[in-house]
Amino acid sequence: MLHIANKSFSSRLLLGSGKFAHPGIMQQAIQASGCQLVTLALKRLQLGQQQDDLLSPLQQMNIQLLPNTSGAKTAKEAIFAAELARDALQTNWLKLEIHPDPRYLMPDPIETLMAAEQLVKLGFVVLPYCSADPVLCKRLEQAGCAAVMPLGAAIGSNQGLQTRAMLEIIIEQAMVPVIIDAGLGAPSHAAAAMELGAAAVLVNTAIASSQNPVAMAGAFAQAVNAGHMAYNAGLAAAHSHAAPSSPLTDFLATL
Amino acid sequence: MRIMLNDTSLQLATVSTLAQLLQQQQLRTEGLAIAVNNSVIAKRLWQEYQLQNHDQIQLFHIVTGG
Repeated sequence: MLHIANKSFSSRLLLGSGKFAHPGIMQQAIQASGCQLVTLALKRLQLGQQQDDLLSPLQQMNIQLLPNTSGAKTAKEAIFAAELARDALQTNWLKLEIHPDPRYLMPDPIETLMAAEQLVKLGFVVLPYCSADPVLCKRLEQAGCAAVMPLGAAIGSNQGLQTRAMLEIIIEQAMVPVIIDAGLGAPSHAAAAMELGAAAVLVNTAIASSQNPVAMAGAFAQAVNAGHMAYNAGLAAAHSHAAPSSPLTDFLATL
Repeated sequence: MRIMLNDTSLQLATVSTLAQLLQQQQLRTEGLAIAVNNSVIAKRLWQEYQLQNHDQIQLFHIVTGG
């Protein structure tokens, strides 16, 4: 079980709800993935535009909704967004994300830490999207974050675990769940993250933008399970030279 | 009384509370959040929250996103 704050989840796959072609496909993908945590975002309402009923199908699925603060460029904006999101969804769970630069969407570590410190004091369950920086992750943990969400690669880039060496240190040191967020482009990337000992992964683009999001959601779910089982089983050590797995005797030497 | 609702200026005659404004604008309250003059007003206060002349009201709603 994945334990975050006061809740337990049997699935270690978190899904982002963005970029799906249709809400119905998103719901089917969520079901196929078995995920129990789904992220959502906040936007200014366009008056006169029809409001889709996004929430009632999700609320019937018995999943924890995780609003994010995407769009915030500073700690101040993120705290404002967090308060809006808490009221909109009636949950104090929050994915904190502050990325001022639209080209790479790299999280601002200073603003993120400042916001996290204040949001924890305001009673939020804070899951910060952050750089794969072991010192920052430790500081976010000390600030009272319920988990840390370091990036594998840039958001939506599908490049996999570019930050692998740093993730290994983060996972080794962490006392809270480490959820690898962003950049996971294939089920094999998710499996690799879980093999490193990640508590969970968050996937959005790789599922939503695939040719068959529902099937891909299922594939990610299996990969996450396989990677987690492998981590628990204890991977065999890697070597720089061959190590025979059949007996190398000279029983053919008489020919 | 004149208010700003997101980017729209509105003259209100019969509306005096936030809840009445939402009803007049036929807005779905599910997934909605409101700030008045940059302060978030909790849902439980909408019914009784009295609007003032020149209030800046911002409406936000939940959408899909990673």
